[in-house]
Amino acid sequence: MEKVRHLHALDRISSYLPDRLKRVVSRMDPGKAAGLEELRINAEMPLVGVFSGFDCFIAADGSFTCRHDQAFRVGREEVEELFYRLCEHSVYAYQDDIARGFLTLKGGYRAGICGKAVYQGQTLKGFKDISSICIRIPRELKGCAEPIFPFIRAGRHDICNTLVISPPRCGKTTLLRDLCRIISTGSEAADFAGLRTVIVDERSEIAACYRGVPQNDCGPRTDVLDGCRKAEGIEMALRGLSPAVIVVDELGTGQDAESIKMAWNAGARIVATAHAYDINDLRERLGFGILIGEGGFERYIVLGIRNGSRWVKVSDAYGNRLYSDQAFRMPDGVFRVHSHGAEMFREAESQAACTSEVQGHPAVPGERDVRNGETVEQGF
Amino acid sequence: MCVMGKPLNKAFESLGKGNYGGVWVPLFNRSGSLLQEQILDAGNAWRIALEETAAALPLAQEDIDLLRDFGELLGKSDRDMQHAVLAMEKEKVSALERKAKEEAETTGKLYRNLGALLGAAAVILLI
Repeated sequence: MEKVRHLHALDRISSYLPDRLKRVVSRMDPGKAAGLEELRINAEMPLVGVFSGFDCFIAADGSFTCRHDQAFRVGREEVEELFYRLCEHSVYAYQDDIARGFLTLKGGYRAGICGKAVYQGQTLKGFKDISSICIRIPRELKGCAEPIFPFIRAGRHDICNTLVISPPRCGKTTLLRDLCRIISTGSEAADFAGLRTVIVDERSEIAACYRGVPQNDCGPRTDVLDGCRKAEGIEMALRGLSPAVIVVDELGTGQDAESIKMAWNAGARIVATAHAYDINDLRERLGFGILIGEGGFERYIVLGIRNGSRWVKVSDAYGNRLYSDQAFRMPDGVFRVHSHGAEMFREAESQAACTSEVQGHPAVPGERDVRNGETVEQGF
Repeated sequence: MCVMGKPLNKAFESLGKGNYGGVWVPLFNRSGSLLQEQILDAGNAWRIALEETAAALPLAQEDIDLLRDFGELLGKSDRDMQHAVLAMEKEKVSALERKAKEEAETTGKLYRNLGALLGAAAVILLI
């Protein structure tokens, strides 16, 4: 089902593509295309497809190859044409998005834009001479957070302040979106009533609003502050929307941390994500120490990819492991890399950039597995 | 259009539905629907729509040519530039309007003179 939905998403994206590119995409093997996470379209460069933890070039016949000289090369005019199509031939209407470096398309797809930056004084006004476009195909995997949710629930009407941590492209936002949906909707299975939720969606990734309408299911009690900076959005939400839970993506600055503290002082729960390999990695960041440890987040969900399959671990503020899944069972489509069967794919997987666990990230001292009652020497 | 940040297809749709339309409604509607199909850019959609509806518009060829060029710059730049483009086109249209008025006046005067002349001729012929 997930594969079918993903292929449908690819069809919709194809409608934006210039003719030659559309033909290449239409020739791709549907089984492999279902695993496509990004399409990178660079002027005068090979067409690149990004899969779970690896990427490869796409040839004119739609096949995947590791050799760039065999890949389909995209023309400059095609990138320009694609850009205008993505903007619905109305650059002025997408001007603010362009200045932020991406466009949100109908259906929740996102296209990152590269080109020559144009400044007006100190302000980035937009881009001209568009050189590359990266179309990201989002995954709305309903149900992927269900195994985890009971560990962040703190009663029928409350949840724990939760931080989702992972390196880029490991599924943080996908998990956050589904957690938001469950928190807002409620869950009979987890005996949870559902809470008023506000998403501060600075990069339009969680709800993926298109003309004011969320393209992803974020639950019936959810308000979305779309394109709003986190610090401002959290303050606005607290003043005007009386949320029980605030959901934010990609905490990164000291100011973000201060805003989180402010929300806690106002009695709101926070579910957030941050780029990091583990808690220690995050703790060392300037301004973030106040969110970790005593009085900080109560649950940590750490995600990663190992040899193409995702893993997830949940721990409490004291490092006690509450949940661990070495082969995180997201619905079909996330294990897609194993279903391709092609040698090239397996080889590429082993060279994946996002292999945090293989590279060995720092251990959290004294972490204990609550389920097994044993102390874990290694990190997550 | 620029202030509301509506894409062109929606802007044309609104213009077609609104009270601004009059004889222009088919042009706006056709442009909007062509753009909605995502096959043509704004310039080509506007040009085709103009060609298809020109016969029903009370315009001279010179006016049609001006309108055709206008489509080429639609939607291809940011708000400030689009404002500049629209202001420039407005100026051109105003110039054409002034010219048309002058022509109407001249033609009117000619007809008036011709009428008087014909009246005089009739009087001369009848007397």
